[in-house]
Amino acid sequence: MQNSQFVQFASLVMLAIVPYILASQGTMLAGQTGLFIVSQEGVMLVGASVGFLGAFLSGSLLIGLLLAALSGAIAGLALAYFTTTLKLDQFVIGLAIFFLGLGLSNLFFKLVVGVTLQPPIIPTLKAVPIPLLSQIPILGPILFRQNLMVYFSILLSLFLIYFLYYTSWGLSLRAVGENPKAADSVGVPVARSRYITAIVAGMLMALAGAYLPMVYTGSYTDGIVNGRGWLAIALTFLGGWSPHLIFVGSLFFAGVEILALRAQVLGVGLPYQFLRMIPYLATIFVMLLTYKRLRTPAFLGLNYDRESRTSI
Amino acid sequence: MKQVSPPLLQLQGISKSFGPLLALKDVNLTIQHREIHGLLGGNGAGKTTLMNVLFGLYKPNAGQVILRGQTIHIQSPRDAIHHGIGMVHQHFLQVPHFTVVQNIVLGSRLHNRPTLNLTRATERIQDLCQRFGLEADPNAHIIDLPMGVRQRVEILKALYRGVDVLILDEPTTNLTPQEVDSLFESLQRMVAEGMSVVFITHKLREVMQVCDTISVLRAGEHQLTLPRTQVSEELIVRTMVGSDIDLDESILFAATAPQESSSSRTGPPVLDVQGLTLTAESNTPQVDDVSLQVHAGEIVGIAGVAGNGQQELLEAVLGIRTADRGQIRFQNEELGHCSTRDRLRRGIAYVPEDRVQDGILPTATIAQNSILGVHDRPPYSQHGILKWPIITQHAQHLIAEYHIQTQGAGQQAGNLSGGNLQRLILARALAQPIQLLILHNPTSGLDIPTVEQIYRQIRQRRQEGLAVLLVSDDLDELMLLSDRIAVLYRGALVGHLQQKDFDKYEIGRMMSGVYNHV
Ligand SMILES: Nc1ncnc2c1ncn2[C@@H]1O[C@H](COP(=O)(O)OP(=O)(O)O)[C@@H](O)[C@H]1O
Ligand SMILES: [Mg+2]
Repeated sequence: MQNSQFVQFASLVMLAIVPYILASQGTMLAGQTGLFIVSQEGVMLVGASVGFLGAFLSGSLLIGLLLAALSGAIAGLALAYFTTTLKLDQFVIGLAIFFLGLGLSNLFFKLVVGVTLQPPIIPTLKAVPIPLLSQIPILGPILFRQNLMVYFSILLSLFLIYFLYYTSWGLSLRAVGENPKAADSVGVPVARSRYITAIVAGMLMALAGAYLPMVYTGSYTDGIVNGRGWLAIALTFLGGWSPHLIFVGSLFFAGVEILALRAQVLGVGLPYQFLRMIPYLATIFVMLLTYKRLRTPAFLGLNYDRESRTSI
Repeated sequence: MKQVSPPLLQLQGISKSFGPLLALKDVNLTIQHREIHGLLGGNGAGKTTLMNVLFGLYKPNAGQVILRGQTIHIQSPRDAIHHGIGMVHQHFLQVPHFTVVQNIVLGSRLHNRPTLNLTRATERIQDLCQRFGLEADPNAHIIDLPMGVRQRVEILKALYRGVDVLILDEPTTNLTPQEVDSLFESLQRMVAEGMSVVFITHKLREVMQVCDTISVLRAGEHQLTLPRTQVSEELIVRTMVGSDIDLDESILFAATAPQESSSSRTGPPVLDVQGLTLTAESNTPQVDDVSLQVHAGEIVGIAGVAGNGQQELLEAVLGIRTADRGQIRFQNEELGHCSTRDRLRRGIAYVPEDRVQDGILPTATIAQNSILGVHDRPPYSQHGILKWPIITQHAQHLIAEYHIQTQGAGQQAGNLSGGNLQRLILARALAQPIQLLILHNPTSGLDIPTVEQIYRQIRQRRQEGLAVLLVSDDLDELMLLSDRIAVLYRGALVGHLQQKDFDKYEIGRMMSGVYNHV
């Protein structure tokens, strides 16, 4: 049955889309205020570890997710403090947080679980069909018979589009990333905007990580994030730092991920590593084609100092 | 007892330092109701710093601000706006990718924050445009607008917030003379409506034309405040420059027009550009069919509003950019695909607009910078080995001759102040045997004595037979120095005037693309 195969594939893609959307929309949101985050991979690992352990210890996935969000918020707060208040280099601090996350995620797991022969298991996220809508043929099962995190990431993308382009708060946020001095001179709070977006971005990234053990196997492994954090950065550039295109790009990245898994299972001639390479190749390719038209916020990665003459 | 109403705004005992530099020393300034107050001073006098303190961008070390008799505390631009103080910065603070109306409403209280419906804001802006004679299309994107309109947007931004005091920092820098006049009209309308305006400039004529009261700042200290009717130009100039320069000898403040140059302009030109065209990625020419000659012993000025292809034209002449079409001949030889290095070797010197970025190696020493470009040639180097004693001697010689203030040739060039840096760059250019000197905004942002010195050098070299191509945004400078002026508009030369025909309004028309003169 062609049809049911497509539906099955598409609903798997929707499952896989969540971490890409959450991590890249977070990256994009902070980028809109000029903060360039590179610690996605590390924060996702911490989110995965904290989320898993929280769920394991409490027996509730929701508590796991909340704890993960909290850990991400702390990472975001730290990034904002070091870059916006202490004015240290965003890239260096971002990398430091990545390495810290890498270490901490392992440490947490070892501390709580220790070395066991039988790895701990948590329940996975259940599908929550939406009444009526889930009955629609084809679209129903793809879009409306998913877990809550899938709904959340779709709604988040819609909300960000509305918020950034159709509200005056969005206008102010974007102005901070385009020209912080201009924003400052009309009373837009530059530092506060950066703190808020950094914290929200950290929470989204940690949730992206926490989702991973909760969706497929219910278990945690060291390599669980598997480069998705780095891909999120590429995806954000590819999406021109706009929430619409990032959503589309996430579909593509998730699609390739599912295809790669399929190919592995079905034993197509192509090696698995090659398929895993496709998102990176696609990123380079699309960037080559569009780099002149893709815009990044003008002050991306630059700290703002009111009294410095160079940050005109 | 008669109650005297307090002045609108008083700044008292303001001091501000940047590290070791004391930029403001105990400055007092009083702004009355309904006046245009001219704040005059040479570059680096502290005008911008003082107003940035008032606007909450800089935190003063000492001093207080009194508004209508009451001390207020301004911690940020937000507070300043709240107290009815608006500022138009010298470098426009705008988001190029936003529209005019978006830039104007940014950060202001909107009635419909969650919907960002800008209809009402747009109407209000159109109303302001009308009332103050400031034309601007609210829905245009900033990036597409010429400088003059961006300037008006900056003013509208302040008016939209309903300010009582409007500070304008060097607002005429990028305007044509016509635009300057209409700006002054708008300012007068504002005062008629009850506002006060602080007008910052380093140009004497402008304050004499429009201001009610004039204050002069020099080296961070307040010198005087007087009604315009009680001051003479001479008094103001003397106060501005102090005893630093001899006014009778001054080029900048010369009362009479410069004498006709003695250049005969016979023989082939030193620089001969024919049909030079440079096309940008978007297919609109950045330099459009430019033909231009510069002869020995003459200064040719290129006027134009900044961003009309000046940089591109110069870089094409120097071979930094490759032209799509056209010929460049230097001393009768086609430069063709000559590298930039070769062009410089043949006797062209270039003083770029951006001193720090394009002019020097900031972390290298003054000595190293003083031989950049000739560092691989005798006498500075032999067989690839630098001869430090000779280089140091050379640098010391330049430091003395050009009065570069520094502790020695071993100091980092990046630590020089703007004026001393420009002296070094000019010294380096003139130290070698050259036939053509290309200058781009050679005096922008420099203090008065340095400007004098640079003008003197340029004139003297012209007298000695050097060909000079002077590109400047400052029309007064061009009219003061040039033998001829050509006007650049959207990459094309749209007009050409001999010294006897110089007229700033005529040039202004050409600068804004309105020309019938060929
Ligand atoms: N943000 C800053 N950091 C360091 N030095 C500054 C800064 N702003 C101004 N200065 C210095 O303060 C002095 C006064 O500058 P400024 O107020 O810009 O002068 P003006 O506006 O009168 O030309 C100059 O010597 C300048 O180099
Ligand atoms: Mg200034």
